[in-house]
Amino acid sequence: MKKFLATLLALAMILGLVPAVLADDAPELITITAFKGAAFDQPTDDNKIFKKIEEDFGIKFEWEFLAGNLDETLGLKMADDESLPDLFDGGNSAEKLENAGVLIDLLPYISEEGTPNLWKHLHGTNVKLDQLLSEDGELFIIPNFGVIYNQEIKRHNGPAFFIQKKVIAWNDYKVPKTLNEYFDLIERYLAENPKNEDGLDNIGFHILSKTWRRFCLINPVQHLMGRPNDGEVIVDINDPGWHTETFINQPYAKPYYAKLNEEFHKGVIIPDSFTMDEDTYKSDLAKGTVIGMFDQTWAFNDCTASLLNQGKYEDTYLALPLVYDPEYVDGKVIEEHYINGTVMNKDRGFGISINCKYPERLVKLFDALLSDEWQIILHWGFEGEDWYYDENGRMNMTKEQYDHRNDAQWKRANMAEPLYDGIPKKEGTMDNGNAWDPSVQDEIYYASSLTDYDKEFMAKCGVEAWEDFFNKPLECAPYGEAWQIDKGPIDEDYQTWCLLQEQWLPKVIMADPDKLDETWDEFIEVINPTSKIYTDFMQEEVLKLVEKALGSTAQ
Amino acid sequence: MTNGAVRASAEKGKIGHFFRTLGKQYQLMIMSVPMLLYVFLFNYGPLWGWLTAFQDYQPRKGLAGSKWVGLKNFEFLFTHNTFFLAVRNTFAMSLINLVFGTVSSILLAVLLNEVRNRAFKRTVQTVTYLPHFLSMVIVAGMAQNIFSGRGTLNEILMTLGLTNSPILFLGEGKYFWWLIGVINVWKEVGWGTIIYIAAMTSIDPSLYEAAAIDGAGRFQRILHVTLPGIKSTFMVLLIMNIGHLMEAGFELQYLLRSGLVMDYSDTIDIFALNYSFGTANPHYAYGTAAGMFKSIVGIILLLGANRIARALDEETLI
Amino acid sequence: MTVISATKKAKRRDVVFPIVNTIILILLMIITLYPVLNTVAISFNDSLDALKGGIGIWPRIFSADSYKELITDPAIYRAFWVSLWKTVITTILNLFFTSMLSYALSRKEYVLRKFITTVLVLTMYINAGMIPNYLLVSRFLKLGNTFWVYIIPTMFSCFNMIVIRTYIVGLPEALVESARIDGAGDIRTFFQIILPLCLPVMATVALFVAVGAWNSWFDTYLYCGSKKNLYTLQYLLKMKLASTQASSNAANTSADALANSVKVAPITIRASITVVSTVPILVVYPFLQKYFVTGMALGSVKG
Repeated sequence: MKKFLATLLALAMILGLVPAVLADDAPELITITAFKGAAFDQPTDDNKIFKKIEEDFGIKFEWEFLAGNLDETLGLKMADDESLPDLFDGGNSAEKLENAGVLIDLLPYISEEGTPNLWKHLHGTNVKLDQLLSEDGELFIIPNFGVIYNQEIKRHNGPAFFIQKKVIAWNDYKVPKTLNEYFDLIERYLAENPKNEDGLDNIGFHILSKTWRRFCLINPVQHLMGRPNDGEVIVDINDPGWHTETFINQPYAKPYYAKLNEEFHKGVIIPDSFTMDEDTYKSDLAKGTVIGMFDQTWAFNDCTASLLNQGKYEDTYLALPLVYDPEYVDGKVIEEHYINGTVMNKDRGFGISINCKYPERLVKLFDALLSDEWQIILHWGFEGEDWYYDENGRMNMTKEQYDHRNDAQWKRANMAEPLYDGIPKKEGTMDNGNAWDPSVQDEIYYASSLTDYDKEFMAKCGVEAWEDFFNKPLECAPYGEAWQIDKGPIDEDYQTWCLLQEQWLPKVIMADPDKLDETWDEFIEVINPTSKIYTDFMQEEVLKLVEKALGSTAQ
Repeated sequence: MTNGAVRASAEKGKIGHFFRTLGKQYQLMIMSVPMLLYVFLFNYGPLWGWLTAFQDYQPRKGLAGSKWVGLKNFEFLFTHNTFFLAVRNTFAMSLINLVFGTVSSILLAVLLNEVRNRAFKRTVQTVTYLPHFLSMVIVAGMAQNIFSGRGTLNEILMTLGLTNSPILFLGEGKYFWWLIGVINVWKEVGWGTIIYIAAMTSIDPSLYEAAAIDGAGRFQRILHVTLPGIKSTFMVLLIMNIGHLMEAGFELQYLLRSGLVMDYSDTIDIFALNYSFGTANPHYAYGTAAGMFKSIVGIILLLGANRIARALDEETLI
Repeated sequence: MTVISATKKAKRRDVVFPIVNTIILILLMIITLYPVLNTVAISFNDSLDALKGGIGIWPRIFSADSYKELITDPAIYRAFWVSLWKTVITTILNLFFTSMLSYALSRKEYVLRKFITTVLVLTMYINAGMIPNYLLVSRFLKLGNTFWVYIIPTMFSCFNMIVIRTYIVGLPEALVESARIDGAGDIRTFFQIILPLCLPVMATVALFVAVGAWNSWFDTYLYCGSKKNLYTLQYLLKMKLASTQASSNAANTSADALANSVKVAPITIRASITVVSTVPILVVYPFLQKYFVTGMALGSVKG
């Protein structure tokens, strides 16, 4: 009956015949149009989680996902107020929605009494509300990731130098720690094993250097210098003035590219490195022919999956936090810091558009979904169906249950991915010690990602977890991570700067050894003008962020 | 009567004549004027958008609310040192595409026209047009497999002993334009042929018979009957494509480019994409300004080509 | 004597030429067919294995999983019908308006001919940009989220008009003149005399229009992105590819979970999408080919 009434009401609303009548126990059924600035699968009409949301809150969603160019799409939506969706997620360009003024300020709808979960969320351990506010003190987007409850669980999933595990085994489980040790090992292994087990040519070191993947070419220097991923600058966190500089044009960047130049001429790096597309790169990895590379773990997950599937456990990769040898940095011994503390995903997630008729209902929904009960449903699913309590009373998933989570067809009907991705959520651990995110829950993580080969490998290396190869995460710097900074004001120069690196670094690496110094100097000359603009801008922005963060603790 | 009055009445007569003729041609007007109105609405109506090339255009603020910046956007294009490389690359690649594309399509059409077995002819037609339906991503992937340092072509060259070390076809600017040309021919030759095959259907078969009686060989028949039969189609397409010389596509170039060949691969479209949407904040106006530039150059080329064709007494577009 | 040897030579050439021609065409078929077969092979290959590359024209490890992924989504059937209707209606309307216009603009005596032609031709070279077009269709004409957005903005293409016009100009002028003498007006002349002769070129243009209408996905994306019942096949498949790509790069999946459950990877789904989306439209060409016979048009006039 209730459902019938709700349908009737919705119908009447659509026809515009009667003004909405609100009954206390049965909120009128509303349809929310939602856009996500990323690609997702359309959930099925009878998706179990969306169905429960509809039953509990009377809210239905009409989803629209990104398929073309993000900025172009956002521009079109913004050009016509009538086409603004109610829930608006601008993906990696969400701050542009704020700047254009299509989002409403959420603060008036958030209070300690009215929305207790959200209130607590925004005043948590690693969140300072002030850091999220615009210059006029408005809150447009509540970060979708990076708000930690209780214990932070940090797995390495990011940047590192990688090497096939079999090469470490071949080296009697001695793990290289510096750049020279790494390339020395690769050279020795390659000399003895020019071909892999399948008779295919081995590639010593692979560099994917095109378009957005150019980070494999450009980013290593900061890590070699002992910093986590700040993007394209190094910030001196020990300097009271937070000295910020682009690293690519510094004298300490040259040894890395000189080393690559040397390896190129030794045949460790092949010329195809600088022309190949991502498919070729991935096929080389999946064939087990690439001994080492610099990348981020998640970016080649499917290759690892393919290797596991072929039973080539020894060809999967070990992540190594390499640093410069002292000889490259005036005899200094560099301490590695590849893993950083969790960074709040500022300006990413859903905003509510000025076109939305029900902002209050939506904020209330965010709040309700932040309850422990709903967080478990959104992260884990339903008890008994999608997960269970194991004999230790811990939350766990069977292999089948966990595997489902990668099955697109199953996900369409049983997970609420597009919603989950954009709403504020809890990370870290629950009060009872279980991880909010099932994929980092110890039981699941180890059962799903550690093969017997891996266990033995770790034992021989004398470690218990992959993270043991790394130092403990640094505490996240007050400015966050510098790559998050919006480069809008220096757009054109920044773009030119990026293109110049993509263009020149391969030239440096492929240069005739006699001409290396000359080519490098030429590169520095070309890159310096835009580098300076970028550096000055970033220095200013870092200081602003630091002031915002430290200023608010002082209160 | 004064001279002026004579001229005026002659003028009046001319106008009157024009309208009288037009009145008689009302059926032709019924057939053509609706579409004229249609393009005014759909093609010329949105041209107000060109005004935004003189703005720091923000979609949300619209034309009325965005800031006017004069020629600043054009200044950005014309003072950027890679823009002229982009113009050169666009022009070079589209010229190569035009020549290769036209020649190969006509050649294939002629060869097909000589095939007597109808089933074979249809099979060839159908098979050669298939690549048109492959997405550029797939095509670029295949190009990688063929032209990379470890690719098929290098394997062949090395087996034949034509080169000792692999040639980096994808990594050297001097090859890039030609690669794009070759790939486009391969992808579009079958598709491009269709239009010429259709044109050949209008050739009067008795011309072939007459030629045969005159003792003309196969090549003479091709030369004197087939080719003249598709000449007007060829001319019209040629003029049309000359106007498109500022369009070289961008997807294939974008997929195959790398830092090593940027100076040769980046077209105007890639340049505009880099600086209007590749940046942190979108700059719509750069794209619009570049589009305007392309349109204007294109129209000048088109009208020029059309005029030359007219002077040579050939088929014209307009 | 010389005449005889010349014909002999011509005869010999006539034996050589068909053979050479056949060989050239077969070679051409091989190099155009290979990539297509390769795509089909990849589409039927196991996803994680396909990642290794190097598949020829036969799958290495057979798997129909990527097709299963496509056809288990019931939305695909509705999308197919939307695409079909969109293609059929667009083609019919486009052909009707374009051919009529082409005839009018082929008449040398038509006083507006040059003006209209110029206005139309220039549309091929001007592009106002995406936003103004979007505002016209969605805000001004209110076509967003309706089926008509697939039809109305694509009713005319100048390129096709030129193609048909060139063909009509090539027809003997006497045809029109004799119709005139019989007292037929332009509209009747066009429909009764000219249009039937234009079958080959109409078939060509029908192919161009149909392929264009079938292959476009951006119109759905722009104007009907949130209306599931208006999704076209191409758009649905495009979204499928995009979401597969996004989830294969998802930061929070572990490789082992992928290894056990990945049924589709971008590389295989891209291939199967190509197959699923192209096969229906490929049928059109062989069907239209019967109109591409040399001399057919004029033969029918004489007969």
